[in-house]
Amino acid sequence: MTASMSTATGSGRQAPGGATFGGVFIASVVVLIAALLPVGELGGADASLIGSGGTIALAAVTQLVLAMAALSLGLALGPPSAGSGVLIAGAGIAIGHLLLDKVWDGLDLSVSVGFWVVLALVLCLVWTGMGRLARQRGNATRVLVPLLFGGLIVYVWELTFVGFGVSPVIIPPPTDILASIIANRSILWLDFQHTIVHSALIGFAVGCAAGFLVAVLIDRSSFLQRGLLPIGSAVSAMPIVGTAPILISWFGQGWPASSAVVVIMTFFPMLVNTLAGLQSTGAMERDLMRSYAASYSQTLWRLRLPMALPFMFNALKLNATLALIGAIVSEFFGSPIVGMGFRIVSEQQRLNLDVVWATIAVAAVVGSLSYGVLTIAERVATFWHPSQRGEG
Amino acid sequence: MKRSLTLLATTSVFAGIAGAAQAQDPFTIQLKWVTQAQFAGYYVAEAQGFYDEAGLDVTIQAGGPDIAPPQVIAAGGADVIVEWMPAALAARERGVDLVNVAQVFDRSGMMLTCTEESGVTTPEDFPGNTLGVWFAGNEYPFLSWMSQLGYSTEGADADVTVLRQGFNVDPLLDGQAACISTMIYNEYWQVVDAGIPEDQLVTFFYEDQGVATLEDGLYALASDLEDPEFVERLGRFIAASMRGWQYAIDNPEEAAEIIVEADPAGVADYDVQLRQMENIATLIEEDGELGLLDPAAFQRTVDVLLASDSDPVITEDPGEAAWTHEAYEAARDHM
Repeated sequence: MTASMSTATGSGRQAPGGATFGGVFIASVVVLIAALLPVGELGGADASLIGSGGTIALAAVTQLVLAMAALSLGLALGPPSAGSGVLIAGAGIAIGHLLLDKVWDGLDLSVSVGFWVVLALVLCLVWTGMGRLARQRGNATRVLVPLLFGGLIVYVWELTFVGFGVSPVIIPPPTDILASIIANRSILWLDFQHTIVHSALIGFAVGCAAGFLVAVLIDRSSFLQRGLLPIGSAVSAMPIVGTAPILISWFGQGWPASSAVVVIMTFFPMLVNTLAGLQSTGAMERDLMRSYAASYSQTLWRLRLPMALPFMFNALKLNATLALIGAIVSEFFGSPIVGMGFRIVSEQQRLNLDVVWATIAVAAVVGSLSYGVLTIAERVATFWHPSQRGEG
Repeated sequence: MKRSLTLLATTSVFAGIAGAAQAQDPFTIQLKWVTQAQFAGYYVAEAQGFYDEAGLDVTIQAGGPDIAPPQVIAAGGADVIVEWMPAALAARERGVDLVNVAQVFDRSGMMLTCTEESGVTTPEDFPGNTLGVWFAGNEYPFLSWMSQLGYSTEGADADVTVLRQGFNVDPLLDGQAACISTMIYNEYWQVVDAGIPEDQLVTFFYEDQGVATLEDGLYALASDLEDPEFVERLGRFIAASMRGWQYAIDNPEEAAEIIVEADPAGVADYDVQLRQMENIATLIEEDGELGLLDPAAFQRTVDVLLASDSDPVITEDPGEAAWTHEAYEAARDHM
């Protein structure tokens, strides 16, 4: 596969590393074999990718031919081209879709080696395509590769769990989870409001604000530093499984108790990071302010707080995760019958695993979004910091 | 030396063969809650050697908060479980093919206990109040009752605010809830022990409200029941367990002692367990057919569950597939 070949796309230059005619031929033969091997039983008869029980589906054949064409083209184009990655991955997706369609139609995967051959082929193709795309620069490929990878995992999950008839009481397939999100959206929305908007957000705001204020106070007085810091670290070391039941008996079974748990969890990281940030200013900068006859508060506002921002954002990103964990887990110990933690526990006990996973999916999205928002805010506020200037 | 070694070797071989001949059949039961007199029959059968006599090596797995017996048996962790019928039928609809093989408790011990100062005296007073109930399968009779009374329990403006009760009676003592769910043999007495005298408590028995459902029964998987060897073992287990139950009912003091000794956590108290055993005995009818499911009682439970139209516990009548007398008939050979 080292000989180069003129490409058919009219780019006018030779793409190094493109496949030879022999390589393309072998790949096409492999796809053909995979298409004809029986992958399982559909309606009592052996089924292959392109048909079952002797009949051949025209649509499936067309899709397969297109996949083979895309694969050949992609192989011919060679690695440096992003197009080759897309084509090869596309071929893998097309073949994978043929298999998934059969599984959704009720294919019984109990006996066949053809299934594993096709699955291996699909994985190989998508993996190769991803590999070629990953070497490219550009925003499109940066989004495409994680999407392909995530999609591959979801695909294998759906295929094997539906195809092998795994009981939905153990783990439901992704399509069930999606259907559950749509069907239960009003309950999920109420849970979201209770856990995220009330417990997590309010606790996050109060905990971070308190941590920040105490850090500024401690910075001012070394007496407080020696007194408060050890207490703060002891408070943060208390495990949530111990503090949650106590706070619930104090505040009652509602979101205030969960908020209190989040406050305790987020206080110390914010305190420590803000303190470290305040103390991170260099001697030269402080001397400069002194030479300007700046007062303590002027120095604080114009020099030391801006210099502390990178540290504070560190703490904010950490606390976002802690707030989510604290809000959900504290509900395990007592809650009214609303809330994401309650939903996870009670629906799991009712064996409605699809609702459990729907809640988990909502939590994952919330966590990712909050991290994204904080990262953008960090980029805006600390554009001057070397860590933000590193990417070229 | 060499001669005594040979003697030792020969004796151990024979002992091994003899031991192998006496090998007990293994059997695992998953209980619905922690070790307490609610499951006295099984612990008594173990302690009195009834299981040994039946040729069974029984492992009694205690339950607890967050242990749902249908999940344990679906995952293959037990041969038979103790469960309430509403939860078992709901699990059936989710795909866990549970079948009732024995019904130990004939009457429901579930009730709603309210303090006098909450102002609740009749079910008409429920709206606007906070009522506590356990989840993990125990909420079905409660939800069914609320639905039949026409009160909504979910959503922003529910008629009744439902509190998820932990395994204690604090919500009633703290005043967080006007009423909490209690069992006549357990939590009710915890409230009394905590200092609220019985005449200051208002109680609603599910039996009196016409919404009682069958409680503690034994359930196995339909797929297991297709194996005749399993049914035979199950029959021996049921026979020995019912012997244990009869003994526990006739000798509550001894049963309480056995429970206290068997408690792995070591927190069981003799007086509490004795009181619980005596209350449990009132839930079991002494008609000579201890453990036999009455099909009419099964149908009554199904009717109660189907009568709730909002948030139904089950959506269709499971029919005769949900119970069997086959194991009990096998048990009769050993009773």
